[in-house]
Amino acid sequence: MEALAQSVAERVISLVLDAVDVNAVLDQVDLNAVLDRVDLDTLLDRVDIEAVLNKIDIEVILDRVDVNRLLARVDVNQLLSTVDMNRLMGAVDITAIVTRVDVNQIVQGVDVDGVIRKVDIDAVVDRVDVNEIVQRVDVEALVEQTDLSSVIASSTSGIAGDMLDAVRSRTVGVDESIARMVARLRRRPYTGPPGPPAGLRATAGS
Amino acid sequence: MTASAGEATNLEPPAAARESLQGRYAGFASRFASFVVDVVVLTGIFMLVLAAINFAASILTGRSIDFNRNETWVVIAYFVWGFIYFARFWGMNARTAGGALFGVQVLTDDGGDVSGRRAIVRTLVFPLSFLILGLGFLGILLGDQRRALHDVIAGTVVVYSWDARAARLRFLSRESSPGAGRPASPALPGPPASPG
Repeated sequence: MEALAQSVAERVISLVLDAVDVNAVLDQVDLNAVLDRVDLDTLLDRVDIEAVLNKIDIEVILDRVDVNRLLARVDVNQLLSTVDMNRLMGAVDITAIVTRVDVNQIVQGVDVDGVIRKVDIDAVVDRVDVNEIVQRVDVEALVEQTDLSSVIASSTSGIAGDMLDAVRSRTVGVDESIARMVARLRRRPYTGPPGPPAGLRATAGS
Repeated sequence: MTASAGEATNLEPPAAARESLQGRYAGFASRFASFVVDVVVLTGIFMLVLAAINFAASILTGRSIDFNRNETWVVIAYFVWGFIYFARFWGMNARTAGGALFGVQVLTDDGGDVSGRRAIVRTLVFPLSFLILGLGFLGILLGDQRRALHDVIAGTVVVYSWDARAARLRFLSRESSPGAGRPASPALPGPPASPG
């Protein structure tokens, strides 16, 4: 009896569905009103997102995406204008990045000669404050170095200078001879010309 | 005193000049030679001035002036000129013409520049060293600071002002240069024995 009733019901439903114009029915349904009555939050809470994502083959989707076309439609300037670069950089661990960079390998790949050829040396020199650099140079220490002094000396020698040096050297020689003779008479050791005065020594030492 | 060219090229400047002598107390010979040059210079200038005056007088008056060195006013003028010469050069440049030639200069006993007043005092007392039979110069030979009597009174010292080290380097550069074989200046010095 129960089976008969079920068979009849199925038959009736089938006949009704055949008789109903579903499209006409749907045309009469106010879908917006229906959607307004749907509680999407509750609905989404009941959806197992993880299970859905597991069923999605991302690789297939990505293969079907035309990235170039997608990027062509992106306004990069507008996108960048919305980015807070300071906040972005603050979040980046620069030290960690740098430690992972093989600087030697990068440098070996750089065409240094090519870079130098592109440098406007004149412009660089124009920006250099030579006076400041010279003031920081210990000229006295440089002159003290014998090689440099030799260059200067050889460039400034002249006949008059030679004669003057000769006269002075000769006279200093006589000075020394007299001083040694006097020291011998006084039975005192002689260790060269005395001096300089205390004030001059302090100036030279400062 | 004069070395031959061959000797000069094989010899170095004075051993005392292997380091800079600047600031060291000048010895007797340098100071005496400097003084002699100064006397020659100031006397020469004085005689030139007298000759110029004589020339001008002969043009203007038709008569020449006979400058006799026995005349008192000529002697006074000479000493006044000598005073001006030494005081002016010591006060303004710390060295006279002779000092510049032999590379010596006058400083205060603590190494400072000589003021005009101190230069005048030094010039005024300078004759004292002569007037006591030259004994005033003994301090140059015997004193630790090589000071004469007028130096002690005026509070001055005389030091070498020329860069002996640079002179030696010039000498060495000539020795090592390709043209070192050229005849050396006959005045190029050989070294006196090293000090001490």
